[in-house]
Amino acid sequence: MPAIELENLTRVFASGVTAVDRLTLDVDDGEFVVLVGPSGCGKTTALRMIAGLEKITAGTVSIGGQVVNDVSPRRRDVAMVFQNYALYPHLSVYDNLGFALENAGVPKAERDRRIRAAAAALGLSELLRRRPRQLSGGQRQRVAMGRAIVREPRVFLMDEPLSNLDAKLRVLMRGEVLRVHRSIGAATVYVTHDQVEAMTMGDRIALLNGGALQQFGPPAELYARPVNQFVARFIGSPEMNLFEAALDADGALALGSQRIDLTRRPVPGQGTPGQAVPGKQAPRRGEPVIVGIRPEDLALGAPGAPGTLTAEVRAVEQLGSELHAFFSIDARQAGDQTGGASDADQDAALPGQAHNGVARLDPRSGIRPGGRVTFLVDPARLYFFDPATGEATGWPAAPAQAPQAPQATQQASAGAGRTRSG
Amino acid sequence: MTVTTVSPPPPPESRRQRRRRERLAARDSEIPVELYGLPRGTVGLLTTLAFGFALFTLIPIGWILINSTKTQANIFETFGFWFASPFEFFHTFGLLFQNVDGYGTFIQWFGNTALYAVLGGGGATILAALAGYALARFRFRGSRFVFYTIIAALLVPITALSIPLYLTYAKAHLINSIWGMVLPSMISPIGVYLMRTYADISVPRELLDAARIDGAGELRIFFRVALPLMVPGLLTVLLINIVAVWNNYFLPLLIFNINTKYPLTVGLGLWSTRAVNSGDANLYPMLVMGGLVTIIPLIALFLILQRYWRGGMLLGSIAN
Repeated sequence: MPAIELENLTRVFASGVTAVDRLTLDVDDGEFVVLVGPSGCGKTTALRMIAGLEKITAGTVSIGGQVVNDVSPRRRDVAMVFQNYALYPHLSVYDNLGFALENAGVPKAERDRRIRAAAAALGLSELLRRRPRQLSGGQRQRVAMGRAIVREPRVFLMDEPLSNLDAKLRVLMRGEVLRVHRSIGAATVYVTHDQVEAMTMGDRIALLNGGALQQFGPPAELYARPVNQFVARFIGSPEMNLFEAALDADGALALGSQRIDLTRRPVPGQGTPGQAVPGKQAPRRGEPVIVGIRPEDLALGAPGAPGTLTAEVRAVEQLGSELHAFFSIDARQAGDQTGGASDADQDAALPGQAHNGVARLDPRSGIRPGGRVTFLVDPARLYFFDPATGEATGWPAAPAQAPQAPQATQQASAGAGRTRSG
Repeated sequence: MTVTTVSPPPPPESRRQRRRRERLAARDSEIPVELYGLPRGTVGLLTTLAFGFALFTLIPIGWILINSTKTQANIFETFGFWFASPFEFFHTFGLLFQNVDGYGTFIQWFGNTALYAVLGGGGATILAALAGYALARFRFRGSRFVFYTIIAALLVPITALSIPLYLTYAKAHLINSIWGMVLPSMISPIGVYLMRTYADISVPRELLDAARIDGAGELRIFFRVALPLMVPGLLTVLLINIVAVWNNYFLPLLIFNINTKYPLTVGLGLWSTRAVNSGDANLYPMLVMGGLVTIIPLIALFLILQRYWRGGMLLGSIAN
């Protein structure tokens, strides 16, 4: 029996905005589920409905098999870590940790034992007598976590708990949060807008957009088999390149004025044909298609070789461990059917930013802006989407390199560390 | 991977040192007055005006202090802003404890006023805190209506209500009852308004959510979480309410006709009328002394409460 079950959970605000739209998912005991999505996608609203802090318009929240729609937050056995910590400023760390136990009528000796145990687990033992104002950001964050874990709750909710920390501390605390999670074993729902956090922390990820669940699954699955363009673009950093293209009569991919022969294998020994998406019509010859190429799947190749793509390099970001080459080809970048223009789309429209794709390359490749470059395109690594609906119609080949992907993406955007676990 | 960034505890700091550090930090974070961008001479002009206003309010207090040492003759015949012998301060002070002509004693009125102020002012503050918090943090049917009604009540002068008030009191047997004085004093629209504003800025919603998740009931949340954060505002309202009851003249005049129930204001008024009408030998020094003793508790209260007017109550609670 799952610890948390959401069924068609819906929240419509008084203004008429649907914040959460028929959200259905379940969290098992001891599982770490990440709710992720762009800002305003409804993830925090969903979390607050689980906590009981937000009205439920329709649908049900069940905790431990019991529908709790009408149960007040204090009777739900949930603990929550807030984005802004929400520590009681007038109470010492000790009393902050003990407040919930006091409310629950836990005897004083037992309370003391649990407070000290939680403090020890989080390295707060020296700070018990301090007030929140005398703590650093990381310490406050740990007090906020401690306040939740002393309760030994059945359900643990976290609302962007790391977003107020600086980049370095955030990476450290990711490991810390996972360590705490494993030690208490409560079902955890973790909200973030950061796909790196989602990929590195979640047992499963629920990706939301516009209040609706896009995909729910393990990180590697969202990376390797995104159900639609939105998921494909959200997961992975830098973002997946998406172009409007067409399959011509003999099965070659027409990408702007260039053609890529999909029947050939550009790199000997590598690449097998991609997978079809179950229940979807595979891309057909002679029809338009949206093709997705991950920046990490582009490699430099010899000019004029078959199965290559020639592009103009507009800008280069040298990250030390890797290099991002922003390029432009004469195919149109695909828009987003599932919502408005993404930030990246709007940024791409800025003058001087006239690139429509990005490749992640070896930092020693010596790429410079202004030159032309030839990429090898592995047909087995392409993603295909229906131009009308944005839904996936073809995925990369099965033995995907996906398990490595989370590390790669984390490294790419955090740049501070690559620990997957603590 | 354990985070072990426990910094050594800061050296113990006395209260005085902390005050000093906070004061210096506050000064450092201020924009120097030269950078305000005010026209030349404005600062000097404003300073002069402020001094003028301070003088205007302090002169009567100075006068009352000086003349409390004088005999009745000297009050009328010597220069008002300097002392004259004989020094009668303690003699006059002693007279406050006597029952003059059966009109009642000053000390009894003083006790009455203190009682009314504590019950009325304290009650008004508690009610204002509850109402202000509720209006700031709960959405309920009619909450806006209630709030605007309270604002409207600010605009109605109590004199306009004197006749209906008196008639109601007569029916409710509240004439000459201390509850007749205390109950209306516990209604403080300005207090509710101030507490609502203060609760709004000083009690974050997230903190209330956290307390709810932590299993606290609403009453407990109010007393353990919200109220401590509202203390500076609460003290302001307390002071305003106590001063209002302390200085209230009209309401006790209306409802009391037994002089043992009088508060200071009405009692002194009685003396004053009598002093004018009868030309009695020694009532003016007692009036002056009575006035002085009447204002001292309020000044003391202000000085005591002042140290609680500290900002930064929320420091460390909420990251931003």
